[in-house]
Amino acid sequence: MSAQIRKPMSKRMKTHIGMVLPALILFIAFNTIPLITGAFYSFTNYRGYGSYDMVGLRNFIDLFQDSRVGSSYLFTFKYAICGTILVNVISLVLALGLNSRIRFKSALRGIYFLPNILSGLIVGYIFSFLFTYIIPAAGTALGWKALSNSILASESWAWVGVLIVGVWQSVAMNTIIYISGLQTIPADVYEASSIDGANPWQTFQKLTLPLLLPFVSTNLILSTKNMLMVFDQIMSLTKGGPAQSTESISYLIYRNGMDGGQFGFQSANAVVFFVVIVTVSVIQLRLTSKKEEQL
Amino acid sequence: MSTAVAKSAKKLKTREEGKPNILLTVLLIIGCLTVLFPLYMTIVIALKSPSEMTNDVAGALSFPSSLSFSNFSEAMRVTDFWNSLLNSFLITGLTIGLSLVLHSLAGYSIGRSMGGNKAFKFIYFYIVSGMFVPFAILMMPLVKETAILQIDNMLGVILLYVVFYMPMNVMLYCGYLKNIPQAMEEAAEIDGASTWTTYWRIIFPMMSPMHATVAILTALGTWNDVMTPLVIMSGSEHTTLPLAQLNFQTQFGTNYNLAFASYLLALIPILIFYIICQKSIIGGIANGAVKG
Amino acid sequence: MNYRKIIALAIPILAVTSLLSTGCSSNRSNDGKTVIKMLQYKPEAVAAFEEMEKRFNETHDDILLQIESPNEAMTILKTRLIKEDYPDIVGIGGDINYSNFLDAELFMDISDFEGVADIKPAYMDIVENLEFIPTDGIYALPYVANCAGILYNKDMFEQNGWEVPTTWTEFNELCKTIQASDTLPLYFGYKDTWTTLAPWNALAVGLVEPDICAQVNAGKATFAEAYAEVAVKTKALLQYAEPNPYAYSYNDACTAFARGEAAMYPIGSYAVPQIMSVNPDMNIDSFPFPANEDESENVLNSGVDLAFCVMKECKNKEAAYEVLRFMYEDETIQIYLDDQNAVPCKVGDFSLPSMLDSMVPYIEADRMADYQDHHYPSEMSVDAMIQTYLMDESENSTETFLQRFDREWERYNRDLIAKVKKYEEGLK
Repeated sequence: MSAQIRKPMSKRMKTHIGMVLPALILFIAFNTIPLITGAFYSFTNYRGYGSYDMVGLRNFIDLFQDSRVGSSYLFTFKYAICGTILVNVISLVLALGLNSRIRFKSALRGIYFLPNILSGLIVGYIFSFLFTYIIPAAGTALGWKALSNSILASESWAWVGVLIVGVWQSVAMNTIIYISGLQTIPADVYEASSIDGANPWQTFQKLTLPLLLPFVSTNLILSTKNMLMVFDQIMSLTKGGPAQSTESISYLIYRNGMDGGQFGFQSANAVVFFVVIVTVSVIQLRLTSKKEEQL
Repeated sequence: MSTAVAKSAKKLKTREEGKPNILLTVLLIIGCLTVLFPLYMTIVIALKSPSEMTNDVAGALSFPSSLSFSNFSEAMRVTDFWNSLLNSFLITGLTIGLSLVLHSLAGYSIGRSMGGNKAFKFIYFYIVSGMFVPFAILMMPLVKETAILQIDNMLGVILLYVVFYMPMNVMLYCGYLKNIPQAMEEAAEIDGASTWTTYWRIIFPMMSPMHATVAILTALGTWNDVMTPLVIMSGSEHTTLPLAQLNFQTQFGTNYNLAFASYLLALIPILIFYIICQKSIIGGIANGAVKG
Repeated sequence: MNYRKIIALAIPILAVTSLLSTGCSSNRSNDGKTVIKMLQYKPEAVAAFEEMEKRFNETHDDILLQIESPNEAMTILKTRLIKEDYPDIVGIGGDINYSNFLDAELFMDISDFEGVADIKPAYMDIVENLEFIPTDGIYALPYVANCAGILYNKDMFEQNGWEVPTTWTEFNELCKTIQASDTLPLYFGYKDTWTTLAPWNALAVGLVEPDICAQVNAGKATFAEAYAEVAVKTKALLQYAEPNPYAYSYNDACTAFARGEAAMYPIGSYAVPQIMSVNPDMNIDSFPFPANEDESENVLNSGVDLAFCVMKECKNKEAAYEVLRFMYEDETIQIYLDDQNAVPCKVGDFSLPSMLDSMVPYIEADRMADYQDHHYPSEMSVDAMIQTYLMDESENSTETFLQRFDREWERYNRDLIAKVKKYEEGLK
């Protein structure tokens, strides 16, 4: 490279560094520093207050032997995999629907956005009522035995109840991102395809989806992360029950680390969990960016 | 079809080049029931008094015998509504403002530089990975840190939110930039405009649909959040709406009727904000292109 | 041209400077008064505490009392401890949190406070039993207590001529009679796991020694033996309750009991306000759990609902004591009792709420023992373990549960057991 091209490049680079710096400083101050402090406690038996002792790697060794932590990982991953797929399919369909020529567009968009802003207390109460009283009543009336009991009270099915509510609430956010992604696709692209005589499915497959891929990958990562960190729905619906079948990792970390006296141990859990999610996301990112490059 | 409907349909046709898809509209309206039914229950409960609460389905779904909005006025009194609302507005508003500026700047510089620059690529993954840190591990260190810096108040909460939503927003901005061709900036820079000028004159306006998206997603996270203001602002006399709403729940009892009335009130501002942002998500890209 | 650059740079600078400049701590004492800050954990009693604060400040020129009754008070208290922004006095419950705070050496010894002598000895024993390791001195002053047992629908009992049972057999017979009349004897809200502890605690006080947890920590007993009967009897209650109680929440159970769907509800007196909010005219009374075959062995489940502790960091011990003296005046206690259904811990002639009528003989005779779960570490989630056990329909569910109890106890109390061992060795 010649010096002539390099010179303006480096000036632009300087500006770019200036642009990223304020955000970076704040991020280091309020994310990295507390994270390192928190990670330090994972080597202690700190309760969150008072004095503590260093315990070395004990928390990490315990972690791998703790059956409760083990089953929380099973639950969380089962939940996250199903949830991510459902959320992305539903929100993509919804975004396509809400972005096409329909009546009452604003009102419909507003309504589909609502689940995400309802507070946990409302969601917990309404869905508990739905699962405990309304659905069993309907099940009994229809003579469907499977529905005659609350699924939130069933050890093997409660996770599905939590999943339904989790998906119901998360769809709004991913739909918003898909809708904004659809705006980046210029209208003339569609016009060209309709001239070519492509049917809607072909248009979607050949045109919309590839152009939407950056948003698909963003949405996949965001929804995987939100689903892996499931907490609010557990707090408002089951509190980890019945029979500890819906204890998510975040729920354990929060409940035992903050309310209980296990701050040190749960910090270790959080550190491991952090590494696990980052790994999952990096794999996802690799896969989707490969796909993007192919197209 | 009445003439009025036909007329409005015609108007739509000329505007959007095509008639509205009625079948799709109907399907979407049917889907709405999954939202409208819980909303109906919420409203019914917000209008009832505690002594009207029952466990039988018909009783719970029936409308209260006499319509009374006393729950709403009582809920406003208990939460010191206008004051808490103002604080919530301040926190959410300033968080959004700061996020739009800082995150779009960071997103732009990272998005444009990470292709050829390892350092920026690292910064991208470094910031994005922040989204996976469980809040519980940060909470206590943050309480201590904000206390030492003497920002255990609204300012601290705002700064923390700016950091919490930075990973997601930077990722969104970077993703969006991929669909904005670099040609325009290059042309402007050849004309002698500095990178800063180009950014503010061309890129920032062009990203307005993403600004609206970021604004609404950030608002979603901050508006209902209890935990951060609870642990950070516990020493100050200011309260936010979600904090004040904790008044309806005690260890051994919850006043659902007042609580639901209060939550319905708190829902309105953010819903309006969303509808406004939606308009700008739709209209944005065209405006940006025209200006560019 | 560069103004935008300046703005963009100004934002972080502004942010940093405001980091350093805003906020000021509120440790000032205005007009020379000594400020005593109290943080108490019962937001539902905020009205009573505001009244007390007002009266105290009207009668004291030299001390300014500031009482805070925040929501989520335990979280807030913990953040205060991290910030080292200590209140002078805390009002907390007599539970595992107290034990932990005491173990973290946060409290001051207040054995020289003269009011100690006025507290009922049974309640002083209850808070003393909460100490992990026996300590010299007194660190908590019990203020009010609550009781748990079985709430019953008094009108329904009177209409049907049902009698309050005093033995386990009588209780079972009563349940069968009630069942025969097509009413549910009991209602449970086991969807909220913590409610499983209500019958568990109420049964355990009559069947197990109050210091069983300390005995286990010292290696002198096992839960497998101690809790066997409690476990069996807790499970036996299920046959008298609604089918699938795991579907219904605490709130559902309160509503069902208030609507007369069940005759009895095994829960504490703390549930009464929630029940009365649904049915304000309801006539509720309560009796201790008849856990034994011999009435004289039954014990009332009662624990310290609110106790005051002076923080070690308190700079003005004398002023704090003056506040405590005021809090324990009979008139002040009556303010609290008029506002909340509670049992005062001070000896004296107070009027008790009517829903405790059948419990009064036990209270007066000091036949009381603390909630067992006040000794359980919350991260062990004994409530969820009991729920798991109740849902387990296999034949050896009781053994599975009891073995798990001992195993998990050891795991969650490892540091504590080591500490107790060290202490005991020190004694020898």
